[in-house]
Parts: sequence; C-alpha cells; structure tokens
Amino acid sequence: MPGIDESLLEAMRLPGARGASLVDWISGLALGAVGDAPGGDLEATAAETAELARHVAESGSLAQGGETAAPDKEPPVEDMIVTTADSYHLLRFVSTPFESTVFLHLWLDRNDGNLALARIRLAEMADRLVLG
Amino acid sequence: MTRVTTTWTTHGTTSAALRALAAEGATGALSGERGVVYLSAGRVVHVESAFTPDLGTLLTRSGAVEPDGWRAAVDGGGRQHRVGRRLVDSGRLAAGALEVCHLGALFDAAYFVLAHDTRPRRFRPGAVHWLGAVRPVPVDVVVRESRRRRALLERIWPDPDIDIAPLTRAAGADPADLPRRRSRTLTQVDGVRTAADIAAALACRTYHTLVELRRLAAAGLVTAAPPAPVTAGPGPGPGAVAWDDPDTALLRRLRDALEAL
Repeated sequence: MPGIDESLLEAMRLPGARGASLVDWISGLALGAVGDAPGGDLEATAAETAELARHVAESGSLAQGGETAAPDKEPPVEDMIVTTADSYHLLRFVSTPFESTVFLHLWLDRNDGNLALARIRLAEMADRLVLG
Repeated sequence: MTRVTTTWTTHGTTSAALRALAAEGATGALSGERGVVYLSAGRVVHVESAFTPDLGTLLTRSGAVEPDGWRAAVDGGGRQHRVGRRLVDSGRLAAGALEVCHLGALFDAAYFVLAHDTRPRRFRPGAVHWLGAVRPVPVDVVVRESRRRRALLERIWPDPDIDIAPLTRAAGADPADLPRRRSRTLTQVDGVRTAADIAAALACRTYHTLVELRRLAAAGLVTAAPPAPVTAGPGPGPGAVAWDDPDTALLRRLRDALEAL
C-alpha cells in the first residue's frame, strides 16, 4: 500500500519526469516532493502552484461541476495542464476520504514526456494513494 | 534512553528550543503555551493543540474511519505507540490517506504553538505519542511553515483573535451569497463557537477554516465576539472549556474544590 513517497517515486518513473510533489492547495504546503523543481525552489513552486489550483477550484465558472453526493470529498476539478516551451505541468486533484484539498504535481520534459499517458497514470496513482 | 541536555531552557522561544532539541537529536515532548510538540530523534512526529481538533476527530467526523474502528486501533495500538500503523494494517485507512490527514493535523496544531512563539514551558525527555511516527518532519520545515501561515492569514485580515475567540456573525450576513466553502463556514458562526469548534463540526482542517473565517472577517461578516462575562456559578459552563487556557481551567477547578471544603 503506497504512502506519499512511494507514490511520488512511482510518478518519477514516468518517461520525462523531472519532479513530482503532493501539495495542499489551501495552505500551499508541499506534503512531499521528489526530483527537481523549476527554478530549484520546491517550496516556492508549491506555494505558487497551489495559488493557481485554488483559484481554479474556487472558480464559479471553471469548477462548475454537477451537485455530487459528497461535495467536500469530491474535488471540483480533475486535472490542470500547463505547457511551456520545454515542459508540461500536470496537476491532478486527489479525492480523499476526508475534505479533499491536495493535488499531485508532475513536471514533465516536453521532448521525453507523454502527456496523455502521464494523465492516465497520475489519476491511477492519486486513487491508490488514498484508497490503497 | 535518549540522553538530553537541558540547553533548551536557555531559549526564549518555543521555536528556538525546538531547533536546539533537533540539533541534539532529542526524543520527547516540548510544551509551549498553546500545545505540545513531540520529537523523535530530532524530528517532529506529532503536534497537539487545544485550538485544533485532533486526528481522531477529523477522521471519524468526516466518515473516513468508523468511530468503532478508531477506538479499536487506539485500544490495540496505543500502548505500543502504533495506532497509525494499526489503522493502516487493519485496512481501515490507506497509508497515503493517513499521511495526508496526519500532516494536516500536525501543521494545523504547529501553527498555534509556533505562530505565537512564546517561551517553552517544559520538555519531557523520552515522551512518545501514542499515534507513533507516521511521517516525521524536520523542525525547520515546521517552524518555517507556521510563520508562513501566520503571514498568509495576516495578509487576508490582520486580527489574530479570529483564530481563538468565540465568533459572531454580522447582522444581515447571508451565507447564500457566498462560495460554498465560505458559506458552510459562516453558517457555523453562532456567537459561541470558536474556529476550532467550527473546524470540528465541519470535519474540516483548522487552517482551512481560519482562511475562510479571516476572509469572512475581511468582508465584515464575522467578528471576534467580546469575551463573555465570567459568571460566578458552580464552575465554568459546558462550552467554556474549549477556549480556556488549560492552566486557567485547572486553577479554577482547584479554587472550586477549595471553596467546596
């Protein structure tokens, strides 16, 4: 049964992975991180990415999901994808059995990475992290 | 047993004492004004504060763990300080879910202990928390995060009383006009409950509740209620314990006991 570190190390085995972290999008705290961060500062990256995730998760337009049975436990957004000239950032919101406020952040090299594959795998890892 | 020198007493703040204990690789429990930090080999394994609901409250109120399952894990693993391990091994909670919820509770309590960084009260060498080590965190990370959170909350609305005082809703404040998370928080504000009570009622992390409450305060919808007058009755009322300083509560009980003689 994987913990935070095992899940992040698994994410790092994806082709092109440069860095992976688990971040709380309300506080901006990285609960765990492996590999590199853009600019070399893991804590700053977590805080900035969390700010972006929070805006989207609280957005009245972008996060307008249907009424679910457990709105606090179902994150209002599944993924966020940011592309740059040489990399991808994939953010996967994790559905936890208590209030859901964390996401997995995977930083991928654009030449070596496969965004479609990474998206599917990251979703599976997010499920295994909290459901076993 | 762990050998620990007493240099921590020379430090004027809880964070400085923690750093000294971390440098020694100490194991034990350091009590600050607003909570207790448990160290194992110089790393933080747990933090408890009366101003935040504990891990058991978060897990059971949210439905992540059945109350019976939680009690069974505490009964079965408490003495060996392996309650966390027991929860995971018995299949009641995934390892990752325990780590995420545990870290949430740890940093929430640490905010209260370290954001108002006062003189440490005492250190109990060798003291171990019954939860066991789930995911130890370096002292520096905990201290830095607590300060960052204080700055974030100050930026939203600079009134630290919101964190600990009973809260009052402004006249005409309507939860229906707000985003869901904030509206849910506002409906719990009743002139008696504190942030910790509201977090426990919603099975919500305390820091997340503080963020919403400070935003509500910034919008003029919530204020820290003036302290209730102390009533000369037989002991404190049922709700008073939640925001009483533990030592004040003890002194009151002592006074009541002496008066009853």
